[in-house]
Amino acid sequence: MGIFTDFYNTVARFFRPQEEDASKSVATNRLKLVLMQDRTNLTPKILEQMRGELVDLLSKYLEMDKDLLELNFEQEGDQVALMLSIPVIRAKDEEEIEAALAEAKALKEAQEEAEEETDEEYEEDEEGEDFEDEELVEEEIESAEVEAEINSESEAQQTTSRPKKRRRKLEKVSSPEGLNTEEKTEEPEEIEQVSTETTEG
Amino acid sequence: MTGRVIVITSGKGGVGKTTTSANIGTALAKEGYKVVLIDTDLGLRNLDLLLGLENRIVYTIVDVIEERCKLKQALVKDKKNPNLSLLAAAQTRDKSAVNAEQLKDICNQLKEKNDFVLVDCPAGIEQGFQNAVAGASEAIVVTTPEMSAIRDADRIIGLLATKEEIESTKLLLNRVRPKLIQSKEMMSVDDVVGILEIPLIGIIPEDTGIITSTNKGEPIVNDENALAGKAYRNVAQRILGEEVPFLDLDEPKGFVAKVKNIFAKLKAKV
Repeated sequence: MGIFTDFYNTVARFFRPQEEDASKSVATNRLKLVLMQDRTNLTPKILEQMRGELVDLLSKYLEMDKDLLELNFEQEGDQVALMLSIPVIRAKDEEEIEAALAEAKALKEAQEEAEEETDEEYEEDEEGEDFEDEELVEEEIESAEVEAEINSESEAQQTTSRPKKRRRKLEKVSSPEGLNTEEKTEEPEEIEQVSTETTEG
Repeated sequence: MTGRVIVITSGKGGVGKTTTSANIGTALAKEGYKVVLIDTDLGLRNLDLLLGLENRIVYTIVDVIEERCKLKQALVKDKKNPNLSLLAAAQTRDKSAVNAEQLKDICNQLKEKNDFVLVDCPAGIEQGFQNAVAGASEAIVVTTPEMSAIRDADRIIGLLATKEEIESTKLLLNRVRPKLIQSKEMMSVDDVVGILEIPLIGIIPEDTGIITSTNKGEPIVNDENALAGKAYRNVAQRILGEEVPFLDLDEPKGFVAKVKNIFAKLKAKV
């Protein structure tokens, strides 16, 4: 019996597709993902915050199943992609969107007023952060919007190119470009423009 | 003379740091260079065992730091090779007995009179690691083709990059099993290098001879026939700046494997 089993195994191995069922590719892919997470400094708390902000933003435009929203990092070839998967119930119509935007704007103004009363320096900081957050999700919403019209399930993705040379020396600032909110502080003006445009349109 | 201080580290335990230290040290000493091995794994020392020097240790690194002896007195000469000596770790103390500044000072003193100072780092990323790295200007990161070891190595590589004194970080891939790589059950050398993205300095095949060499307290580089010994000798050559090709572990042996290889190549072309 042994001889026959050996023979069978040899023959089977000969014809077996090379890559697919190999456990090493599973390991390689899992490892790439986990290292991506290790190398960026995105803590679960920050991810959760990001998720919450994305929900707030997208729900202005879409009616969706918030509980089923998934936010994941995935490996695509050499790049790491931020995959956002949301089951969309329906896209809101123009009136609803405008209403939602107006409401958000009113809310923001109310917040700003409240903040004005507090310490000025502190307020500036807060505003800066607000803009960062909006910029982070701005790209998301654009692609999400378009896709939502076609599919009932939209996937917004923001690819973040990993620097070819490792960012070793930058460990403390760290994380791939585009993922770290801290790196966004430099361009608040541009962001302001973009956000006003969306409000008007 | 100013020698080179190289730290051998890994993050994860049990991947072969100490074996690597013992073998590279012995190989360099055989080439005629003066080498000191420092065991910085306080409380869990093993380098003395791998070198077969466990019965000759009188003073340890902690005795030197606490000035119970002179540095020279604490260096234990190897049985076979007078070029090689060991500064043993204290077995009865923990990592807090030494600080980074003290270790750096010892490394600086030793490199005055030796060509190479190899620092065997403990596992982990805490004080012991910080101490071991303090005096070094080069690092060799040891890992095996397993996920957990690679992940830890990645962390270590990240930490080493924040150290300005470390000028070069190289990868040594240990316990490679060519058969498992061929059957795609183990990550290949290219896979690992692709993930960690640092230059490779050695590929050491899994070798049962390591077990017997440890039993005898004699590094495997002394065994002219062992494949792992040859691989370690090659690493020493590369440290010395020679360009030595990596051992070809992938070449399939036997008729069936060769035929299969030809088919695989044809398939790749189509």
